[in-house]
Amino acid sequence: MFPKPIEKQSRAAQISYQAMLPLALLLWLGPLLAVALFSVKPAADFTNANYWGLPSSFEGAFNYGQVFFNSDMPRYLLNSFLITIPTVIGAVALSCMTGFALGIYKFKSNLWIFFMFVAGNFVPFQILMVPVRDLTLQLGLYNTKTGLVLFHIAFQTGFCTLFMRNFIRALPFELIEAARVEGISEWRIFWYVVLPLMKPAIAALSVLIFTFIWNDYFWAVVLTQGAESQPVTAGITSFNAQFRAAYQLMSAGSIVAALPPVAMFFLMQKHFIAGLTLGAVK
Amino acid sequence: MHSIYKRTTAALAMSVALVVPAYAELTGELRIFLDTSNPAPRATMEAMIDRFAEQHPGLEIETTVIDREAYKTQIRNFLTADTPDVATWYAANRMKPYVEAGLFEDVSDLWAEPEIAENLASTKGAMTIDGKQWGVPYTYYQWGVYYRKDIFDELGLSEPTTWEEELANCQKIVDSGRACYTIGTKFLWTAGGWFDYLNMRTNGFDFHQQLANGEVSWEDDRVKQTFANWKQLIDMGAFIDNHQTYSWQEALPFMVNGEAAAYLMGNFAVAPLREAGLSDDQLDFYQFVAINPDVELAEDAPTDTFHIPSNASNKEAAREFLRFVVSADEQTEINNGSNLGQLPVNAKSSVDNDKFLNQGFEMLSSNSPGGVAQFWDRDAPAEMAKVSMEGFQEFMVKPDNADKILAKLERARQRIYDN
Repeated sequence: MFPKPIEKQSRAAQISYQAMLPLALLLWLGPLLAVALFSVKPAADFTNANYWGLPSSFEGAFNYGQVFFNSDMPRYLLNSFLITIPTVIGAVALSCMTGFALGIYKFKSNLWIFFMFVAGNFVPFQILMVPVRDLTLQLGLYNTKTGLVLFHIAFQTGFCTLFMRNFIRALPFELIEAARVEGISEWRIFWYVVLPLMKPAIAALSVLIFTFIWNDYFWAVVLTQGAESQPVTAGITSFNAQFRAAYQLMSAGSIVAALPPVAMFFLMQKHFIAGLTLGAVK
Repeated sequence: MHSIYKRTTAALAMSVALVVPAYAELTGELRIFLDTSNPAPRATMEAMIDRFAEQHPGLEIETTVIDREAYKTQIRNFLTADTPDVATWYAANRMKPYVEAGLFEDVSDLWAEPEIAENLASTKGAMTIDGKQWGVPYTYYQWGVYYRKDIFDELGLSEPTTWEEELANCQKIVDSGRACYTIGTKFLWTAGGWFDYLNMRTNGFDFHQQLANGEVSWEDDRVKQTFANWKQLIDMGAFIDNHQTYSWQEALPFMVNGEAAAYLMGNFAVAPLREAGLSDDQLDFYQFVAINPDVELAEDAPTDTFHIPSNASNKEAAREFLRFVVSADEQTEINNGSNLGQLPVNAKSSVDNDKFLNQGFEMLSSNSPGGVAQFWDRDAPAEMAKVSMEGFQEFMVKPDNADKILAKLERARQRIYDN
């Protein structure tokens, strides 16, 4: 399943690998580097077609200053946190419970209910756009953070349930049976026996969902408008002025917006990688 | 220079306020919705509203600034429910849906007042639907040809005024290895500007508006003549290559680097060109040349406006605010170089000491007898504008497809204007 380690390849393969890797990396990171570079350039560099060269003057402090003190970016960032954190808590909490129910109890339609959760993942979310917008409008939740959070929780719970159920299935069932023999109520089994064992899964899933929701652009644009409710991904477009797009500010804003998930990734790297593989191999 | 000017107006405003202690006392709440969400215009508008508030201490003013793009969708909601007393929008066809739905207040009474009737004549047409006026303008800007004077000097060219001179100039520029015009048609509207000018110069302002209103066939010989003129430029290589892949901003470097000599664009192009290092000696402006000597010159000058929604609750204060916005002093102030940097709509206002604003003001107030158009995507209904601008772009890439494109636009016209 895994490719042969590079140390075991022939010398020629090793050398070409070492030569190609930095090149591929540079190509891969090219657009990101361009954004980072643009965020410290003056506006004039764009008009001069200085897309890839060195900045004609260093405007990093000015651009980032504009982003933080002269735009709605701080507000958008706060919105992003106010949307992402409740969603993570809500989706993870719900899926712990659904995962427990589907993983532990054997009832007739167990598998069908599980399939329904999984099936939700196969629905392309774009086709939900119009009905969900109408629904939030009728509920009076259009253009509110609550509306966005509720939808994200509902939609993410499908994937989270798949993840949690499979994780709980892998736990030794004897633990639960032992607890039952002791006469512990089901609720306490969940709380004191299963939940502590699920900590790695909860951590991994939280990190994963955090980046999913933070990076969401589609629903942010469909369900919210304006600085009072939109998250930062949608807010970056506010640097499109009436006539001109302020690319240097948009770049600076993008870098700022990308920092929380990147920080999350590096701090929780272990959990993140665990999260990607946990559900996959049961 | 500027600060002195600002201080004098401030002093003037203060002395006026001292001598004339407010007009009729206005009370209640005045809710203003703005789409001027970018930092500079936003500050300009908020400062203007503060000055208005000083004159009317009894008035409680609440200002809401909405992102310009979001505003375009939200306006449908807020004109019907939870309606403000004053809202920004655009002139001509862009306000038509709301006028026809009865959502904008008829403000013809304001336009009958001599102060406005005499000084705002140039934009009256753009505010008129069915013989009534539905709002007031607060700023507009000119379109025209911005060109590299140093390149013109190097080739011994002068500003053209006729189509023949234009073609002769262009041939020389092409022969020197440059393109005559830079343009980026990726987002279509820039091609709409070219169509506006070519059609208005070939067939006149009235015909152009009839076409925008769907009253003339796209396969009419007059439209074909417009496209034939356009084809002359395209065939001689007047435009830069691959323009369909550039945004209007991405097309600027060609002019800055000297690969193209000119740009048909709105006045907002001046700021980035100056930032990029072109001095006012290198950069100049001329009015789009006459093509058909029998038609009067008409210009594109998109106008931004204030309206009173029909459902507004404090219409008296709203009217006073509209009067305030178009007054000569306020117009001078909000349109100066450190604020909006555009043209004042009041003929008694003074234009900021800027080469391009002065030329534009002069052109629009004295050399545009045919009328003032709002730009193709504001004059034509949204759906027709989109289809037709796609056609213009295709035509600029494949000029030989003209007949096919016009046939397609004609089918679109019959479908769109029918309902």
